[in-house]
Amino acid sequence: MTDHRKRAEPASQADENHEYQMIGEFDLPGEPGNDRLAMEKVAQVLAPLRLEKQRLDRLKTAVAEATLNALEHGSRYQHEVPVTIRVRVSQKRIAVEVTNFGDTDIPLDPELPDLEAKMAGEQKPRGWGFFLIQHLVDEVHITNQPARHTIELFVNRQS
Amino acid sequence: MTATFTVQPHGTQTGVIFVHGDLTGAAEADLMQAFSQAVDAGAKNLVLDFSDMPFMNSTGIGLLVTLLVRANRTGIRLAACGLSTHYREIFMLTRLEEAFQIFSNVEEALAAA
Repeated sequence: MTDHRKRAEPASQADENHEYQMIGEFDLPGEPGNDRLAMEKVAQVLAPLRLEKQRLDRLKTAVAEATLNALEHGSRYQHEVPVTIRVRVSQKRIAVEVTNFGDTDIPLDPELPDLEAKMAGEQKPRGWGFFLIQHLVDEVHITNQPARHTIELFVNRQS
Repeated sequence: MTATFTVQPHGTQTGVIFVHGDLTGAAEADLMQAFSQAVDAGAKNLVLDFSDMPFMNSTGIGLLVTLLVRANRTGIRLAACGLSTHYREIFMLTRLEEAFQIFSNVEEALAAA
């Protein structure tokens, strides 16, 4: 198992004293467009928490991008290879896990996207997904296990 | 719903492309067709109105990069308006806000064109 921790600040230590409670779990088939559906379903699950709009919008986009990556590179848009999403909350944080059970060696935009390089044809136009995730949530964990790849997004409930 | 596009000329050198729906990579052919339609009509300045765009993912951002490349090659100036606060932040993070002139609404954009 490999565990790559992006933004490896000890934020998770703050969570060690807080029990997470599962408030939602669902599977989505490997179909185009389900990145948006994942985003909307997570927003529905989180609605009772009344997050501030900016925080929720950022998390929604991060969830959509994590799901898009899982759909494209994990399930490869095979209907029968689902993406599983779990939403957990503690007193201070929200954690959204996006797991796929297809290919586990998912590329995560290896080069830092640079608009000028893209416009000069030195980088492909796409490749913004993981960059956005990193900038829109407070912490990201990635776990690869045999036949299972998980990206976990953490946001603080309040600033 | 994948975005559809409406092209509206303003004067002889300006056009507005209204984005209706979700901007993702699936909209590539339609967006490029809208761009060509506006340029063929004589537009040198193009305004993209995002006020009816509820969702854009990273493939949609890639599409805007492709559009920027085409616009640069053909000497077209691009502007954007109607972005929500969230997508304005996405434009800032990706630095698209440096490549597009940004306006609050289409009236402001047209006044500056």
